[in-house]
Amino acid sequence: MSAHIEDHAPGSDSPPVVPEPGLVIPTPPRARARRSLRLPAFWLLIVLLVVGAWQIGGLLRQEAAGYPAATALAVGLFGLYAVLFVVFVRGLDYFEREPPLLLLTALGWGALTATSVAVRGDTAVHDLLAKLVSPAFAASWGPAVAGPTVEELAKTLGVVVIVLIARAQVNSVVDGFVYGAFVGLGFQVVEDIVYALNAVALAGDGDSLRPVVGTFLLRGFLGGLWSHTLFSALAGSGIAYAALHQDRPAWRRWGAALGALAGAWLFHFGWNSPLLADGFGYGGPGVLAALLLKGIPALLLVALLIRQAGRREAGYYLEKLVGDERVATVRELAALGSARTRAAARRYAGARCGPAGRRAVRRLQRAQALLALEVSRGGRRAARYRAAALAQRELLEARGHPDAYAPDGASTTDWSWLIGCLCAAVLAVGLALAIRALGGS
Amino acid sequence: MRSRLLRNMLWSVAVLAVLAGLSFGLPALDGAVASARPVPAGVRYDIGDGVSLLPPAGAQVDVTHTSPGQDQGTALFLLGSVRYAIRALPFDGALDDVTAQLRQNITATRGYQVTGVEVPVRTGAGVLGRQGGYTSPGRQGRYYAFLAAGTAVEVTFAGGDLELHDSLQALEASVRSIAFGRS
Repeated sequence: MSAHIEDHAPGSDSPPVVPEPGLVIPTPPRARARRSLRLPAFWLLIVLLVVGAWQIGGLLRQEAAGYPAATALAVGLFGLYAVLFVVFVRGLDYFEREPPLLLLTALGWGALTATSVAVRGDTAVHDLLAKLVSPAFAASWGPAVAGPTVEELAKTLGVVVIVLIARAQVNSVVDGFVYGAFVGLGFQVVEDIVYALNAVALAGDGDSLRPVVGTFLLRGFLGGLWSHTLFSALAGSGIAYAALHQDRPAWRRWGAALGALAGAWLFHFGWNSPLLADGFGYGGPGVLAALLLKGIPALLLVALLIRQAGRREAGYYLEKLVGDERVATVRELAALGSARTRAAARRYAGARCGPAGRRAVRRLQRAQALLALEVSRGGRRAARYRAAALAQRELLEARGHPDAYAPDGASTTDWSWLIGCLCAAVLAVGLALAIRALGGS
Repeated sequence: MRSRLLRNMLWSVAVLAVLAGLSFGLPALDGAVASARPVPAGVRYDIGDGVSLLPPAGAQVDVTHTSPGQDQGTALFLLGSVRYAIRALPFDGALDDVTAQLRQNITATRGYQVTGVEVPVRTGAGVLGRQGGYTSPGRQGRYYAFLAAGTAVEVTFAGGDLELHDSLQALEASVRSIAFGRS
């Protein structure tokens, strides 16, 4: 086992590649949250969150009175679903993690402010389409026009407000992606709860739980992977680009922000449009294929974008560690560049030295990341993180694994994406069957 | 610092303006455009799921509450202050189930009560249905439920006493004109 892995270790003819640095503006050590209290945008945010909470709370209270068990189940299921997304999105933000309070603010904006705006705006656009074009057009194309137009704008403003109240915490395009994703997640969860309770009301079967489970499978999984979280993440990365690149011409910054918003609009439009709704005439399997065809391009584009932005952010921080081989070897720096290579380095250490080696590499990587962040900020805790990294280095040396690198195979031949796609396809078919069994179509 | 505060204030106003535009501007614009459209007399109106009817003479359709579709559809006609709503949807139960569902929908609204007994009724094409009455604050109403070939049709109309009385014959004729099946 060990010999096999050694065969894939990088040799002299394959030098490790440290990601190229991109634009990152680290949070200054003197940044203080309470300074936001003096900003008009902060008080605007508070008012909007309170108004949104009152409106959405009233809506849910009304549903809870009629369908208490269904409401509790919908809140519980979509709440759990949100936790999974939070863990995933937080994992993307490895080097400079966002303050929990700001992430909660982004979530609250999506769940309360953007949804309460959408309730009024969507209806108005839908009715205007019925009046100005025709009821038939509004019935089929209304969601495709009203949804993206009102909702993407309302959600993106959440990222704008985050920039206004905590500009110092938006350090890279990845941060805009993360804040946007949290705004979208908040919106998606509340919207899905409302959809689930509407399904209960339409079923006319009292406080029934089946429509909630059906909606959870349909909107949470088959539609959830490329829904609001993804659209808003894309728009949020455009806002972050515009906020960070103050040295670039205005047309370029505005172009990036509006281009990202237009991309989010377009993907949302495609997703809501009635095109391919009949599943090419092949019933359930056709509809499933159409869902994948509509959703996967958005997922791929955003995945590529975040991968590129993440590598550039990593490159910026890792540059701070270059030259101190005791803290981080060149091969370790290359491994730290992405979640995949970090995981590969941990697995490799696990295979060579067991769980203790794997644990030591995880701690070493975290200490290296924190040290890089602290050095980039000019902070005072650099010595503490350096000591933590050196302690893990000694542990690894004692176990005969002094260099926590990722073997070559991790960065070149990786079949995990194919396995992931196959698992996703099997899961999708299983979910479609479950939805059908629950009475959905 | 002052310029930063000013810039922050301007951006905040811009954010508020966009949100106000979406929350209040769009509904105001929507409110400024009339939702009632005249429907041609004597021409069948497609509700959805293959169901159609002849609207009463002089009726207008409220396009914001009308949603035709391949599998189901709804339409709302306005005859003065009388509201005449039709909903067609796929249904795999019996006529009694459709009727019970419609009654439940009516009484789910606060202040709405079903009155009297239900009686059997038929469309002009012979499709069997059930008819009943209901009241709402200041209004009297009637409901009908029909079921044919897996498609249910729910009909309600309601209005003030005098207006409903004047329109009753035209409304009953319109209900009798309901036809099932795609043409």
